[in-house]
Amino acid sequence: MIGTLFRHEVRMLFRDRRTVLIAVVAPLVLFPLFILASNWVEARESTRLESQTYEIAVTGPRAAWAEEIVDAAHALEAGAPEPSVADGDPAGPAARTGEVDRGSDEEETIAPAAFLRLSAPAPDSLLAAGALHVVVVGREAVPDDSLAPGTAVLELRYRADSDFSRNARERLQERILAVRSAMRDSVFLGAGFPVRLGEVAVFEAENLAGEGREGGSLLGGLLVPFLILLMLSGGSIVAADSISGEKERGTLETLLTTATSRRDIVFAKLGAIMAVGLAAGVINVVNVGVYIGLGVLDLPDNLRIAVGIDTLLVLLLMVLPLVAMVAAALLLLSGLANSYKEYQIYFLPLFLVFLLPSFAAFLPGIELRSAIVLVPVAGISVATRALLMGEGHLLWGAAALASTGAAAWLLLRRTEAALSNERLITSVEMDEAEFRGGAALFPRHVLRWFVGFWVLLFVTSLWFAEELGLHGQILFNVVGIFLGGSVLLIRRYGLDVRETLQLHRPHWRAWPAAVVGAPSLLVLAIGLGELVNTYLFPVPESMLEAFGRSLTEGLATWEFVLLLSLLPGILEEVAFRGVLLSGLRKQMRRTWMAVAVSALVFGVFHVSLFRIIPTGFLGVVLALVVLRTGSIFPAMLWHFLNNFLATVPVEQGWISLEATQGVPVAWYGVALVGAAVSWLLMCPRPGQLEPAPGGRPARTATPTGAPERDRAGLAGR
Amino acid sequence: MTDQPTVLVKDLRKTFYDESRGEVHAVDGVTFACHPGEVFGLLGANGAGKTTTLRMLSTVLRPTGGTATLMGRDVVGEPAAVRRSLGFYSASTALYPRLTARETIEFFTRINGYPGDLVPARVDDLVRRFGIAEYENGRVGKLSSGMKQKVSIARTVAHDPPVLIFDEPTVGLDVMNALEMVKVIRELKAEGKTILFSSHIMSEVEKLCDRIGIVHRGRLLALGTLDELRQETGQHYLEDAFLDYVKRAEGIEGAAELGPAGALEGAEGDPLGTAP
Repeated sequence: MIGTLFRHEVRMLFRDRRTVLIAVVAPLVLFPLFILASNWVEARESTRLESQTYEIAVTGPRAAWAEEIVDAAHALEAGAPEPSVADGDPAGPAARTGEVDRGSDEEETIAPAAFLRLSAPAPDSLLAAGALHVVVVGREAVPDDSLAPGTAVLELRYRADSDFSRNARERLQERILAVRSAMRDSVFLGAGFPVRLGEVAVFEAENLAGEGREGGSLLGGLLVPFLILLMLSGGSIVAADSISGEKERGTLETLLTTATSRRDIVFAKLGAIMAVGLAAGVINVVNVGVYIGLGVLDLPDNLRIAVGIDTLLVLLLMVLPLVAMVAAALLLLSGLANSYKEYQIYFLPLFLVFLLPSFAAFLPGIELRSAIVLVPVAGISVATRALLMGEGHLLWGAAALASTGAAAWLLLRRTEAALSNERLITSVEMDEAEFRGGAALFPRHVLRWFVGFWVLLFVTSLWFAEELGLHGQILFNVVGIFLGGSVLLIRRYGLDVRETLQLHRPHWRAWPAAVVGAPSLLVLAIGLGELVNTYLFPVPESMLEAFGRSLTEGLATWEFVLLLSLLPGILEEVAFRGVLLSGLRKQMRRTWMAVAVSALVFGVFHVSLFRIIPTGFLGVVLALVVLRTGSIFPAMLWHFLNNFLATVPVEQGWISLEATQGVPVAWYGVALVGAAVSWLLMCPRPGQLEPAPGGRPARTATPTGAPERDRAGLAGR
Repeated sequence: MTDQPTVLVKDLRKTFYDESRGEVHAVDGVTFACHPGEVFGLLGANGAGKTTTLRMLSTVLRPTGGTATLMGRDVVGEPAAVRRSLGFYSASTALYPRLTARETIEFFTRINGYPGDLVPARVDDLVRRFGIAEYENGRVGKLSSGMKQKVSIARTVAHDPPVLIFDEPTVGLDVMNALEMVKVIRELKAEGKTILFSSHIMSEVEKLCDRIGIVHRGRLLALGTLDELRQETGQHYLEDAFLDYVKRAEGIEGAAELGPAGALEGAEGDPLGTAP
């Protein structure tokens, strides 16, 4: 069925001449035209600037002296290297060009230019009128110049808003500087200082990178933006047509009342968009190749690289999730927009959102082995460049692939939900949650709020780290953001505090469970960290050390207990296992997803990437503790113990830092047993409802129980 | 007509939320059943809730409450199965202008799950039956409205579904095309299909429908054969009977606080239509 749908989409597409023209044919002609035109303009511009005769005037109290220098500068031969002074040769005055010493000296040559010196009574006004290009003023230093009185000054006046004036100034200045250095040398020589070239450092730059690497670096960096551009321009037309267009033509309802599933429809449309985007990409690459082969276009030298067929295949594999993600985003946009017009309004921001990260490879100092692989699009951009430079890495490349692939998948899921949205068919303005607002809307907004909190936390740590100091920062995060944010959300959405925060008295066995569990899981977390570190993402040692130092420096023991253990133990639980988890559980289909997402958010809040895995692990554990005991209090105790045990013993010198890194294997066995005992000790609190104490939103209240089944059906939220 | 209902609607409800109008009960507890070989008509003014009811049956809208099944499949639980046994025709279900008539019919036959190897023969049948052969290779976008209507009907019945929904099918059609539509619906009825038909045009409903449900403000005010409705209201014309029911409902609505709405009595007589 999906095959039929896909063929249908492609057929519809090719019957729309506009699509074929704009998505495929237009770039086919436009890209080479663009390159040709820019080459032509560049060539024309340089000949125009070269063939121009620049008109200059000399004025000022020391005009005669200035005229002499200008004439000397004018007399310099175009294309000749700067005049230099040969060994021991007492060179004459400025106007003489010194002996030419090609090859070993400066490679900078003087650009050809013709100057015409005019004598004019009021040169400045002529310059302003555009009749002159440069005015040279010869004068004595004035106090403003902060030079010794009596120093001769040569001032070049020009107009920056005129191409010619600017160019004349550059050329003239270049020449005058050359004349000046020759003059200086001759003065030195005259005063008896021997000036030898051998004693003056010669500047040379040599590129050690092979041509292939350089080309790979440039091409690899350009590839992803180019591809995204093609996808966005070609795919966009198809996407706009595929849902917004069907909506406007009224065929969407016809399609939705057939036996096809929403997913098949989404995938078929995605396939069509990808096919057009990829086809446009391939055709354009081939096209440029043909033009180059025909000799119509010239590829810059630094883009010439040889790529093996295996690299090409890997490249295609890398690019596929990217293409899928762009296509999915376009399709989602099309599904959310109510009309073509709305689609166009949203398109520009989307365009930027994709294009900006695609230039990630050009960021200075960005490497594949960094957190950038986790950013969709940017990761692929960096990975393709690394691949073309011959620096591809299987695991990091796969991580980049996975992050973009996951983003594409999420977008597709959202599109599928958008197709089930009743607003596609009816003119309904709101759904129930929006209408009722308050607590019903909270689960939908909770993640957005936490993104906002994170930005606040991040920006504060970035801008005010110095002002706040470590104490201030911890207090701001924990009290200001976590507690303040929780209170804000509870008040704003009118949430039931007891249910949201799970403020219930747990079964007494939950307490020993936390006491046994916290140290056990801490040991297991260390083990997990070791495993990840060894086999997945090696974290630079220096990074870990720096992190450890910055956290512990200058804190007293009571501060460790209060600021790093007690406060986070209580307030982070309120925010993450209270507000966030309760909201996510109502929003997410499955409890494990809520647990996973809350843990991920918890990890992300501990800003450094290298702490995501251990903190994420802790986040999962604490969420499970809350779910199993039906109370937040054991999780608070657990969190406190975890932080306390992770910092204080090392700080106090009870355990050396090294000991925490090489835990004996037997400990892991003990820890596993401890974890199991803890799990068994935890049991539902008296009167805890199974499975979800918070319950689903008000919809559950319908008499028929339909919402229980709506998961399987067409329901979208 | 057998006793086994093909469409079963129980206490179906749909609430919309709207900034300006607030909570709107578009469908407010509707119950009825339909049987093979029967044309069941929903009669009501614009905005009475006919289309919303039928859209819930076609799984495009999700009920807020109550249940609805088609051929024993629940519209919420098994939407794809429901759509497989359903053909949905309405004035708002357009065709793809860039496909030819034949391609359109073929496409809808396939995506509704008709066995692949039988599709060409089925398309030939449909083209012949609805007299599309002359223009089967013409782009739909260039066909006249009458031609388009035929293609639309053909695509609705393409996969030979047991249940057919015609939501205001004659809206915007000229007399000849409207008559053609009525003729097709009669033929389909003769084939033993279950047909749900909605309209605000009394004469059509009078001519076509075996049983009639009168819908007003999301509620089913009355349900029965034309004769039953006439008897109950003492009116000869359906139009008068309709007005009678609406007046009664509005009158009761005014005194709604006094007790349970008596206006639904008409509908409670035999809401599931199980009597022969």
